[in-house]
Amino acid sequence: MSRTGRVAAALERHAVGAVAAAAAVTIALVFYLPVGIVLSEAATVVPGVPPRVSVAPLADVLTDEFYVGALAGVAADPLAVPRHAGNVAAWAGAVAAGDAGLPDFGLFGFTAYQALVSTAASLALGLPGAYVLARFEFPGRRTLRSLTILPFILPSVMVAIGFVATFGRRGVLNDALAALGLPPVDLIGSLAVVVVAHAFYNAPLVTRVTVAAWEGVDARAVETARSLGAGRRRAFLDVVVPQLLPAVLTGALLTFVFTFMTFPIVLALGGLELATVEVWVYALLRNLRYEEAAALAVLETAVSLALTYAYLRYEAAQAAGSRGANPPERVPLVPSARALLSPSRLAVMAYAAVAAFVFLGPILSMVWTSVAGPDGPTLAYYEFLVQRQVEGTAVQTKPWPAVRNSLTFALGALVVALPMGVAVALLTTREFRGRTVLGAIAMGPIAVSGIVTGVGLLLGPVFGIPLGGGYRLQVTGAMAIVAAHAVAAYPFVTRSVAPPLARLDPAMVESARALGASRARALLDVELPLVAAGVVAGAAFAFAISVGEFDSTVILAEGADSYTMPVAVERYRGRRLGPATAMGTVLLVVTSVSFVVIDRLGGRFEDG
Amino acid sequence: MRRRTFLTATAGVAGTALAGCITQTDDGNGGDDGDDVETLTTPESFEGELTVATYSAFVDSPSSSPGQWVKERFEEEFPDVTLNWKVAENGVNEYVQRAGRDASIDADVYLGLNVDDLVVADRELDDSLFMSSDVYELENGGAVKDDLRFDPQSRAIPYDTGYIALVYDENEVDEPTSLDDLTADPYDGTLLAQNAQDSDPGRAFMLWTVDGYGEDGYLDYWRDLVDNDVRISSSWSDSYDAYSQGERPMVVSYSTDQVYANRYDQDMSRHQVAFPNGQGYANPEGMAVFEASDSPALGFEFLDFVLSPAVQGEIAVRNVQLPATDHADLDSEFDEYALEPDETVMFDYETLSGSLDGWVSEWAREIAGN
Repeated sequence: MSRTGRVAAALERHAVGAVAAAAAVTIALVFYLPVGIVLSEAATVVPGVPPRVSVAPLADVLTDEFYVGALAGVAADPLAVPRHAGNVAAWAGAVAAGDAGLPDFGLFGFTAYQALVSTAASLALGLPGAYVLARFEFPGRRTLRSLTILPFILPSVMVAIGFVATFGRRGVLNDALAALGLPPVDLIGSLAVVVVAHAFYNAPLVTRVTVAAWEGVDARAVETARSLGAGRRRAFLDVVVPQLLPAVLTGALLTFVFTFMTFPIVLALGGLELATVEVWVYALLRNLRYEEAAALAVLETAVSLALTYAYLRYEAAQAAGSRGANPPERVPLVPSARALLSPSRLAVMAYAAVAAFVFLGPILSMVWTSVAGPDGPTLAYYEFLVQRQVEGTAVQTKPWPAVRNSLTFALGALVVALPMGVAVALLTTREFRGRTVLGAIAMGPIAVSGIVTGVGLLLGPVFGIPLGGGYRLQVTGAMAIVAAHAVAAYPFVTRSVAPPLARLDPAMVESARALGASRARALLDVELPLVAAGVVAGAAFAFAISVGEFDSTVILAEGADSYTMPVAVERYRGRRLGPATAMGTVLLVVTSVSFVVIDRLGGRFEDG
Repeated sequence: MRRRTFLTATAGVAGTALAGCITQTDDGNGGDDGDDVETLTTPESFEGELTVATYSAFVDSPSSSPGQWVKERFEEEFPDVTLNWKVAENGVNEYVQRAGRDASIDADVYLGLNVDDLVVADRELDDSLFMSSDVYELENGGAVKDDLRFDPQSRAIPYDTGYIALVYDENEVDEPTSLDDLTADPYDGTLLAQNAQDSDPGRAFMLWTVDGYGEDGYLDYWRDLVDNDVRISSSWSDSYDAYSQGERPMVVSYSTDQVYANRYDQDMSRHQVAFPNGQGYANPEGMAVFEASDSPALGFEFLDFVLSPAVQGEIAVRNVQLPATDHADLDSEFDEYALEPDETVMFDYETLSGSLDGWVSEWAREIAGN
């Protein structure tokens, strides 16, 4: 073996370990360290021998009725079980007598309630979409499937503008109601519109993960069930549903966690009256109230990590047994004009109409705002973009660098997040004690509020971490942005890759290893091709998360040089909506094209 | 905070270490005659770089933000000086955080301070983030309107001001004449306000109600406003976006709204300005030189430059705010559309430094608890 051959072989032998180590360092430096800096504010160490740890800020939050409502009394005196039981019994009696309503659980209670409603709405809107995309064949199906990831990247300010134009007092919905002779509805500022907006963001996610699972369903099992006498409904319930359930629950869990930690949409469409925990964290951090903010964030994180942990236990229980992907054939959506009148086709059409209104309405309204001047259609706002590009000064935000930076960072994040996500997936699909705990910790970037991460990045890596001797470790610029985006994105790669990886037959890897393949070679040649669909899905997520990321990009984009498209949209906001919506339209076009390209390239990889 | 020595040759500072001389008195009433204030002297000529940190709209708004114009004019006046703008995403708080963590402060001047910013900075830091302007003679300092001066220690010098008022669509609602009006039936579901925790006009409007109803009564007033279906957005932009789209006919905004509407030929009937109770809440914006500045004398020259008549007139027009001085060069069109209230409401630094946090947090809990 030549020298370079030996080096290559050594590299190959240690490739998986090296990637995992690099991933761990990156995650620690741009995620756990910054988050730790903020969250540690919730506890203080009281000097003395031995030192005492005080968690007073946490205790303050837990005993504050504003935050936890009826639970405040319990937290204040957790050991008085008989008294609490008595209170609950008294309350239950009052409810039975019709004298009392549901107890109030404060800000946390309301946050959980709206997250639950939002999750239900996202499932209701997303699952029929998965059914249509998985079971029917029609022109543009693949493109539509690619575009289900689009809402992920839309800045909330644009979505809010589109929602007001669609569901607002003078919106399309009220115009339509008026045409039907119905009274107008006033939705903006209500919980209803916040829930619809959450569904706008999350239903496509539910659709996406469910379609992916549906395409992995083993049709032979359905046929077997049918041949054994099961009816179509029976076969669907007993064979298909269990195979889809993990994906549906993934979608539901992610939706719950996202909407539990929601904040920009609530503020833009609901107002402070519908404040969530995250709204409070944001306000406290902005006003440099670290202790109270950290205490709230710790509790918020505990809730979402607990959910993630519970889910991972469930997923691990589901993964047993391997299945070969052999999806049932899709049927044409429009075999003939007459078939459209069948009940199932009519239901599909009705769903398509609702979905088109909810998804296309706000997006088209936003695009329309970019060409609507005070006196009719205008291209003035696009002229503004061109003019800013040509004449803009060094400190001003120009459109082309924003596009270029967004695409570069997104590609960088994709390249970094894919190996990171796969490494974590490999690690957590192995059998060892505590792997679910490790899995939950690895999912941290999903479970921790983006605001906490952003502020932590600022206080830690951006300002510099003192190393002693006057030296500071500082992380800023493009590399830092790519790292932060990759850390935010890799859990999605892991979640896309881990379930199919866990279902693979370990015997295949073992045979490859027995025949002399290194661990990395077995991964590349055997495992990854078999979970290609998951890898492609992860790549699309990584790209989308990077393009849409706002909080940490703004912080890490020190100076004027590394701003991205969402940052430009926010900076172009002023007394007129036009410039921001024109930039938003550019963002929409650039990223739509990117997703179709990723999915098509990925499709080629899957097929070949 | 570790003080940085800023006695450098370029600054041309006479005398001993300035850092030891500018003291922040505990009663917040410093800068008076008792202190031995060393002064900075003006060198023969200035050279080098001056970094001015500011909020992004000052240099980068879609309209004609003043930043570039100010840079060009300043460099004409000081040919050997380069002015660099620096956008601070989180405003002054970014520098408060930096000072609190001993990170570098790589700017000489901050432009865009308001009184709340100063209160927060002084609350968080043991040493002042900014230098008192008493150490340097500002030629144009005397032109600043006295009722806009908001820093008892003369660190922040006002350069422009907005008056918070109501902007309304006269086709849909009549002009409200008092704050009481806003809680009455004709204004049910008409008002867009902002979050006092995080928005300048939102905070100013809340403080206005504290002034009007007292600290024991303002929450009752807000309860009535909530019953009358006020909507609280997170930022001025969010509420103004909703107003532009006809979502509601009235928004808490700035009294200079018509200057902009006129510039872009917008329908003036949708840009009427109301001063309830004949008042407006003054929200002056100030500028100050960082204690950590390497060239404080040049920083103060910049402050003086911004206060000169020509620059005051141009900043007012481009930033769509009123000048803070009485000698600004302004054309008559600006005067016609930039409206001022009969009576100005404004809490001073002392009142706010003791009460602001409590008022804001009680207010927020009242709104969110509904």
